Amino acid sequence: MKKRRLAAGFMAAAMVIGTLAGCGGGSSSGGSSSGDSTTAAPAETTTAAPVQAEVKEATGEDVTLKVALWDYSNTEYYKTMINAFQEKYPNITVEVVEFTADEYDNVVVTQLSGKQDFDVVFTKGTPALSALIKQGHIYALDDLLAADPDFDPEKYSGLVDQLSLDGHTYALPFRYDNNLIFYNKDLFDAAGVPYPEDGMTMAEYHELASKMTSGEGNDKVYGTHVHTWPSNVYQYPNRTEKFVFCDPTTYESLIPYYNEIIAMQDEGVVQDYGALKSSNIHYSGVFYNQQVAMLQIGTWYINMLCENVKDFNWGVCAMPNDDGMANENSIGGVTPVSIGAYAKHPAEAWQFISYVCGEESAKVLASCGIVPGYSSEAVGEIFDGLHDTYPNAPEGLSKYLSCEKNVMEQPMHAQNKEIDTIMQEQHSAIMTKSVSVEEGVQQLIDRVNEILE
Amino acid sequence: MGKANNTEKTVSKNALKRRKTLVAYSFILPNLIGFFVFTFVPIVCSLLLSFCEWDSGNPIKFVGLENFIYMFSRDGSFWISLKNTLYYTIVTVPVTMALSLFLAILMNKPLKGRVFFRSVLFFPYVASLVAIAVVWMALFNPDRGPINGLLMAIGISNPPRWAASTTWAMPTIIGLTVWKGMGYYMIVYLAALQGVSRDLYEAASLDGANKWQQFMNITWPCVTPTTFYILVLLMVSTFKSYDTMYITTQGGPGEATKVLAYHIYNSAFVSSKFGYASALAMILLLIIVAVTLVQFKFEKRFTSYL
Amino acid sequence: MAGSKKNTETLKMVLIYAALILMAVIMLVPFAWMISASLKLEKDVFSFPIVWIPKDPQWSNYQEIWKKVPLMTGFANTFKLTIATTVLQLVTSSFAAYAFAKLEFKGRDTIFMLYVMTISIPWQVYMVPQFKMMTMFGLTDSHLGIILMHAFTATGVFLMRQFFMGIPTELLEAARIDGLSEYGIWARLMLPLSKPAIATLCITSFTFEWNDFMGPLIYLSTSSKKTVQLMLRMFNTQYSSNYAQIMAAATVALIPVLILFAFLQRYFVEGVASSGIKG
Repeated sequence: MKKRRLAAGFMAAAMVIGTLAGCGGGSSSGGSSSGDSTTAAPAETTTAAPVQAEVKEATGEDVTLKVALWDYSNTEYYKTMINAFQEKYPNITVEVVEFTADEYDNVVVTQLSGKQDFDVVFTKGTPALSALIKQGHIYALDDLLAADPDFDPEKYSGLVDQLSLDGHTYALPFRYDNNLIFYNKDLFDAAGVPYPEDGMTMAEYHELASKMTSGEGNDKVYGTHVHTWPSNVYQYPNRTEKFVFCDPTTYESLIPYYNEIIAMQDEGVVQDYGALKSSNIHYSGVFYNQQVAMLQIGTWYINMLCENVKDFNWGVCAMPNDDGMANENSIGGVTPVSIGAYAKHPAEAWQFISYVCGEESAKVLASCGIVPGYSSEAVGEIFDGLHDTYPNAPEGLSKYLSCEKNVMEQPMHAQNKEIDTIMQEQHSAIMTKSVSVEEGVQQLIDRVNEILE
Repeated sequence: MGKANNTEKTVSKNALKRRKTLVAYSFILPNLIGFFVFTFVPIVCSLLLSFCEWDSGNPIKFVGLENFIYMFSRDGSFWISLKNTLYYTIVTVPVTMALSLFLAILMNKPLKGRVFFRSVLFFPYVASLVAIAVVWMALFNPDRGPINGLLMAIGISNPPRWAASTTWAMPTIIGLTVWKGMGYYMIVYLAALQGVSRDLYEAASLDGANKWQQFMNITWPCVTPTTFYILVLLMVSTFKSYDTMYITTQGGPGEATKVLAYHIYNSAFVSSKFGYASALAMILLLIIVAVTLVQFKFEKRFTSYL
Repeated sequence: MAGSKKNTETLKMVLIYAALILMAVIMLVPFAWMISASLKLEKDVFSFPIVWIPKDPQWSNYQEIWKKVPLMTGFANTFKLTIATTVLQLVTSSFAAYAFAKLEFKGRDTIFMLYVMTISIPWQVYMVPQFKMMTMFGLTDSHLGIILMHAFTATGVFLMRQFFMGIPTELLEAARIDGLSEYGIWARLMLPLSKPAIATLCITSFTFEWNDFMGPLIYLSTSSKKTVQLMLRMFNTQYSSNYAQIMAAATVALIPVLILFAFLQRYFVEGVASSGIKG
């Protein structure tokens, strides 16, 4: 009796599933039958010829732009920039949709896959941008760029080209961040140790960090600080172009750098990766509180230091390396800005993007210590003058903003985001010594090869 | 005459039955519609999606068994996450059950402050994971945390690095899970123990049975149905769980705490491989159904579900 | 003889109390540490040995957090979501459960079977299609979407039905003879008789919704719609080096659940107990 009931239940369930099958597939596919192989064709054409943002005059009507952004509420320069934009275009109201920095890339993809009507989409870097392009969630900008007489790609020192995929441009560079060594001049002075310089070898850097390590327990000062991102290791060989993000054949160049950094960790010269990670320690705090003498991080930190540090002087130098490079190359990432594919006001979104990536906004950013994607003499001058407004900042910062060559840490690549995920997992395995450096790098090579096939 | 009367009766009987059915459906429909639309249909769609390739932007493409072939033959993370899921479940479930039964036996006595103990043991269950996880991670901070401070103070010079080591990350998370959940199961056990007749124990102790014999011969058999109930509840909840890992370790270090459910989340919402994520979800579902069926087989009282 | 037996009894009680107190301490220490850390200066949070009662309590930590993250909005949103979900779930579940437990109709067992089958299906299995469906209905980034998604659970129906099964059918018959309609029986007989089950459903639904993180994380994007858990998480990641304030925020987020629990814990224990042994 019971068994029969049970069987009846399963039968009924199976029947419901059966009847649903048709509409079910349709409901989630947005109209295309899942079994139909011809539907695959338009998908391919989409990637071959992306949907271009329509070239249209902005109407001047009152509109509200939805802008997806992270860390808006605790970042002053965004507010300054957006206010300046709204003054210039009084008919446009900017509504910022904010997500937490940690989850930003994932959440923004999810939101767009739900066809959120974001007009402007900031992304944290090229991996997220590549994913959005691949899925058709943002517009290509080629037509807009060609139609806009004020747009000059020369002004972006090659960064616009670097944001293209398969010959199409999808974003403008809002910020470009070079990575540098920041150091606390006061701590070096007190210890009587000379400041770090451009063109150090890793061994010299290690030695310097050892000299600057002192104290115990709560008073301990670490020689330098290695934040928890994979880029905090791969950027060293990346800058000298021994390492290329999407090319597993170059990954072996990571080994000596990992060895050096893990040795520093073992000697207690830098804080342990696992401790940083499990207690979510931010690089900014440890440098503000003078718990570390050096820190390798991007130029956005100039802004944070200007705003937060009043009690010690700091300086910068180029990253150490074993290839004899001083300050010829810069290594860093771009913050791309794009137009969402479900935007309600693409014309106004373009006004916004060309403003925030343009000259006026660049000056606003520079005066806050943020390096804009747009480069000009004026920007360099503003950076050199930061010392006058913020006496703790060093002079001559512009030297580190205009290098001979800007190397992109994560060049545009369709599989960028997946490589990034693997990179993070392998990085954490190596840094926690769950695997040896050689093994970890080998796994990295194998896993990336796997997805590139 | 008699015949007509009969028909009339049947009609009114049918009408009554129809009315009754109508009333009954008016009771279940509000919930059923919501449940059907927001839970059941997505489940069926997910089943279909597991045979497709879909990145949420481009159209859906039917790929047959390709997702499953990739999963079994080439996705190393799948096997690692499967292994981690088993590790997590196999340790969490018995430890939680043993502790909650032990506590329930202790509490099953007229004690002073019973309500207090019960509330205290239960409270972690209702506390927010986001809040509690950050406290837990601070306590277990390998360098600065009070736990390692304590261990070092009592002479362990090289305490575990907890969430920062591949070996200890999973135990740390298991500890958090057990700590958070055992109060709930303790109360379920406590209720079951209160249903065991005192007379049984008295008779046994007259026969000279010691405490352990009493436990094995009376307590354990009497709570067996509850044990089965808890077993399934706990297994299902540990198989499903990934928010703890998401908030504390992000599946790391390496892939040490990447469980199957986390791999599903990652595939869907990080890599945007929605079809593949559904295929992984089907494997998770299969495991859970298998566990439930085995339990049904052992548990004779399963008919009370129907 | 009697004395030694009494002595072993006493010893046994001492051991039991010792074990229980030890467990209680293990359960409470993290909360105690959290509150203690929330009242410290940042630099003292991790000092060892632990100072449980800070000499100079930093109440300002509790003021600062409200300025940094719009916690008030988060509380308002979470309250709204939690109350709406709980009420909706309570009404529809008990409604359906009454039919499943006490009424005869065609297809009853089959439909109930469908419910039971889905209890063990994890959310991950269907969250993707569900998200796409919600998008189609335009219910993402809206509170309504989350409410609808969480209000009609199989667990709720199952729990209420199990409890209703235990209420004698004779009572219902008597009520029917007295002329009560089925709706009347549900409202005047079943509901008053099932307070423990209602309390259980209330607390499980309330704590689930109050503490839910993944649902809002995926569904809500606009800042003004975010829940307190998302704000807490945002605070944890944005001010990650400020442990004292993180602990203050965590304490604040725990308080409402603590209050609810303190009031309802007796019912809850009864409810868990009665549904537990029947399951």
